[in-house]
Amino acid sequence: MQTNLFLAGLILYPAITIAALATSSKAKMFFRQTILWLILLANLMFLVFSVITFISGRTFYITPYQLTASLQFDFAVDRLGAFFMGTTSLVAVSVSCYSLRYVEHSGTDAGKNVMAAITSLFILSMLLVIASANTFSFLFWWEIMSIASFFLVMHERDKSETRKSALFYLIMTQMSTVFLMFGFLAIYAVTGSFNIQPVSGISLPLASAIFLSLFIGFIIKAGVMPFHKWLPYAHSASPSNISALMSGVMIKVAIYGIVRYLMIVFSPVWWWGLIILVFGTFSALLGVIYALKEHDLKKLLAYHSIENIGIILIGIGLYAIFRSYGLQDLATLSLLGGLFHTFNHAMFKSLLFLTAGSVVNATGTRNIEEMGGLLKTMPYTGVLFLVGSVAIAALPPLNGFVSELMIFQSFLQSFTVVGPLLKIVMFAGLALFALTSALAAACFVKAFGIVFLAMPRSEAARKATEVSPYMLFGSAILAVCCIFSGIFSYQIFMALGYNLAIPDMMLIGLLLFIALITVWLAVRVFANRKTRISETWGCGLTSQNSRMEYTASGFSEPILTIFRPVYRTNKWSERWFFDAGNSLFKNGHAAIRTFKLFEEKIYLPVARFVQRFSLYVANLQDVDLDTYILYSFIAIIVLVLTMGWLV
Amino acid sequence: MTETIVFSNIVKILFVFVLGTAALVITRRTLSSLFTIYSIQSWFIAIIAMILYLNNHAVTLLLIALLTVASKAIVIPAVLRRIQFSMNIKRDLEFRYLTPIGSLLVSAVLVFLVYRLFSQYLLTISGDSLLLFGAVIGISLTLMGMLVIFTRRKIITKILGYLTMENGVLLFSLFIAELPFIVEVLIVIDLIMLIVLAAILAFGIDSTVEVFHEKLNSFTNWFRDE
Amino acid sequence: MDFVVYTLINTIFVLLISPLFMSLIKKVKAFVQGRRGPPLLQTYFMMGKLLKKERVYSANTSLVMRITPYIEIIFILVASLSVPLVFIPQPVAGIGNVILFLYLMVVAKFFMALAGLDAGSTFGGMGSSREMTFSAIVEPVVIVAFAAMGLVLKTANLHQMFGISLESALITNPAVLLTSVSLFIILIVETSRIPVDNPETHLELTMIHEAMILEYSGPDLALMEISHAVKQTLLIAIPVNILVPWGLTASPTVPGVLLAMISFALKGSLVAVIIGFFESMFAKSRLFRLPGLFMLALFFSFSTILFELLS
Repeated sequence: MQTNLFLAGLILYPAITIAALATSSKAKMFFRQTILWLILLANLMFLVFSVITFISGRTFYITPYQLTASLQFDFAVDRLGAFFMGTTSLVAVSVSCYSLRYVEHSGTDAGKNVMAAITSLFILSMLLVIASANTFSFLFWWEIMSIASFFLVMHERDKSETRKSALFYLIMTQMSTVFLMFGFLAIYAVTGSFNIQPVSGISLPLASAIFLSLFIGFIIKAGVMPFHKWLPYAHSASPSNISALMSGVMIKVAIYGIVRYLMIVFSPVWWWGLIILVFGTFSALLGVIYALKEHDLKKLLAYHSIENIGIILIGIGLYAIFRSYGLQDLATLSLLGGLFHTFNHAMFKSLLFLTAGSVVNATGTRNIEEMGGLLKTMPYTGVLFLVGSVAIAALPPLNGFVSELMIFQSFLQSFTVVGPLLKIVMFAGLALFALTSALAAACFVKAFGIVFLAMPRSEAARKATEVSPYMLFGSAILAVCCIFSGIFSYQIFMALGYNLAIPDMMLIGLLLFIALITVWLAVRVFANRKTRISETWGCGLTSQNSRMEYTASGFSEPILTIFRPVYRTNKWSERWFFDAGNSLFKNGHAAIRTFKLFEEKIYLPVARFVQRFSLYVANLQDVDLDTYILYSFIAIIVLVLTMGWLV
Repeated sequence: MTETIVFSNIVKILFVFVLGTAALVITRRTLSSLFTIYSIQSWFIAIIAMILYLNNHAVTLLLIALLTVASKAIVIPAVLRRIQFSMNIKRDLEFRYLTPIGSLLVSAVLVFLVYRLFSQYLLTISGDSLLLFGAVIGISLTLMGMLVIFTRRKIITKILGYLTMENGVLLFSLFIAELPFIVEVLIVIDLIMLIVLAAILAFGIDSTVEVFHEKLNSFTNWFRDE
Repeated sequence: MDFVVYTLINTIFVLLISPLFMSLIKKVKAFVQGRRGPPLLQTYFMMGKLLKKERVYSANTSLVMRITPYIEIIFILVASLSVPLVFIPQPVAGIGNVILFLYLMVVAKFFMALAGLDAGSTFGGMGSSREMTFSAIVEPVVIVAFAAMGLVLKTANLHQMFGISLESALITNPAVLLTSVSLFIILIVETSRIPVDNPETHLELTMIHEAMILEYSGPDLALMEISHAVKQTLLIAIPVNILVPWGLTASPTVPGVLLAMISFALKGSLVAVIIGFFESMFAKSRLFRLPGLFMLALFFSFSTILFELLS
């Protein structure tokens, strides 16, 4: 049964891609709809496959194709792989449902067909990376995933911003492949095989070097600081369903790689865990701080992805530290917290991107300062976005809270068992994690409040209407998953065989429900039932217009002031006067510049260095025939010397 | 024995209040509140010395307690308040190198570092945890005083930082050094303090380091013009 | 069964006693100012009056404004189950978990901030903005204070903490005393008391909490006020019941419960009087000086941790 599903899916995706590309000239909506329904079907097949494998707990092996004797596509899906594949398929199902109507909104007809085609290839590649059992297959599908997503990001290629973002993304993802290749080839050199299996017998410095190389490769792809800069650009430039796929699933594939190599291939040393913890904390805190000043809805969500990946890395880092000290219970708790947060983030981030896509489509702008009052005109989208916001702000009883609770719990329980130096690290980590979580809640009050509440701030927002039911249904699937996996979290973990010491959300949900019924009845019986609609209190002014309500910049201004050393905006002005005494003003310039730390201090200098070096090498090549013969002559002399003296 | 435990607990609580006063000295801006905090700090240290005296009945501790109350809790704040009448500033607003919150974070880190340093060495000398406590808090107080000196601009606050440093050294020596030696150390420090005060009074106690440098520079220029 | 009895007793008791503490603080502040102040039962009368009035909603508001009062009260009431006021029940499914308690209160704050933005008035937006800012800055302080308490008492469950305090007198433990100082500062911040926020003013520059509930009226306002009062009672109960657990029982016998209620009323009143005096000693701080106050609380918590490490 599993084999059939797997093979059927494996064949269906490329078939869809080829068919779609072939018919891209016949760009009728009917073809597109068929393609998307087929993609939905394929995703469902993989979802069923993953659920079966996960529940049965047995590893599933298949080797469909052999390139040569030593290079073959081996797939082995164990519980960890099935978990990630299930998450991927679930998000893909929702996104496909959403895309049924979303693709109609942008681009040329042929472009839409191509997007549908490449989406199917993209989803397949992500699934197969997770399923891979040897590094050749892993890298092959990793590259296909990168290139497919590059094309998807380039969907709206008329805008220069999109082209720049896609190019930046391509460069960063190729860099990650370089680091991965180092790691994989080093493992091959040491063990002699490409299989992803436990590696033993390597000396610790070599294992650390290999692990660090792989880790850097994976975190570039996952968007962890300081390699995160491509993420806001790519996720805001691409269409929303692709952003949902990329942010919800693709960066999780990188997390899968880290977990697989940390858990199974190597056995972690405590300072690996410390490095992961530090990267995670740094990334989480700075991600949310940068998110607070964003007023582009999709860039804001992208920075929150960076923050949540940081939280996942905190869980994984704690796992590595505890495992290296032999604290098995704590290690399991933190690893499960990290993995559950992976699932939760896939759910709520995709939900947020999809609903944000609906909003951006309905209003035609990505700037939240021009939206407002959308809850009254787009109620369903608004409620779905509210569910996503409540989940990402880690509020009980939804799923975001449960995974953060597990990580908090592993912090709190660790204090009694670790040594003093580690205790101090844990406290610092705990304080910063709490700060991250609270800032995320603040940011989503801003996001939801400014976009959906109060009055519309522009004509476009006033005219927005609700989106099509397919788009709503796709988002609703994810929202329902968020709520269920939150309320029934304890039961789910019990069913999987983990008896964790976390509060039972179902009981909390039940208590909340009982309290709601009681309070509602009490108010209905004892209190006045009359309601009147009137105006907002405006200090005596009788007309309330949208210029009076709070803006997003105003909302985040206190936080920006408190964290001013991080943002380092500098105000610069230049003035010209008519007279020498500087009293008659002619004209002037003023600017407020945010200090883009990573771009200006890290990325651009590296890029300039690479450019200078490449220019130098290019000049070496741009010579006439005589110089080429000179080069050959030098090469022959060097060869003779080497063979004579050294051999 | 329970008496020792009760005393030990009270001393520990007083230690943290002393640290609290040091934190307040780093962050407060109003001069009169700084003087009050300093005198409260000296009272706390005097009470700690008194409790230690009640525990091991060394007369020197009693003398130190009384000396501290007399000089640092009463006389020096009174002198400073008298001087404040003739100063034309009431607050010290500017910070240099570190904001108040940054200073608090740095001092928290310093306390942990000092703890780390001492826990390796002192526990081998004697198993008394109060010794370790006193040493850590004393050195931390000294370092926090030094922090006050380089983060504030007005000289009067720098003097308070120096006084806090002296309190820290006193606290440290109550627990570590041999008792008769402390008194000598204290006298020497107080003499230095008198000299510094005299020099500063010549230039004005409410001026800042920059004004001091300007006046000094004008002094050297006067020499060069010769 | 034990748990159902506990739920009923705890919830009804906390609803009845919270308005008393609010009035008591106002009475103490009035006394310090040389006035007589409103009668002690004034808050009860105010609730009754509000329930009889009609609700007025602004035309700009949406369903968030209408559901927020209910969300406030139900989340705070469920959070109150984590803090035993009169007797400590048998452990049930981790209800006393301190992180769960804190985050249930954060839900209430989140929705109140959203409701502040909903009416489209500048006051509400400003209140929401400041509330979320300070909630964010004070959150690490709260978590570290509770973690320090958890480090000292070796548990992260409030029910277990209260149980430990029943068995051994914690008031002599210096680490617990220090954490209580942090918890007192956190109480001032979370219940919007001077110097963080002035609960009696309605001037736009000086209010945070009041700004967010400005647009509410009638039964909705009654629900918001009672939620605020219950939250204050819960935050009073935690340091009080850990330091002075006299009267707290472990078994639901009728005389024990009655004694516990009276003793908690007395202990809580004492803390309310202390809060009243503390509020009268200071003026409301400038907004951006407040992180300094929070850092002081954090400093105390770190000192507590240092203490635990040293002893």
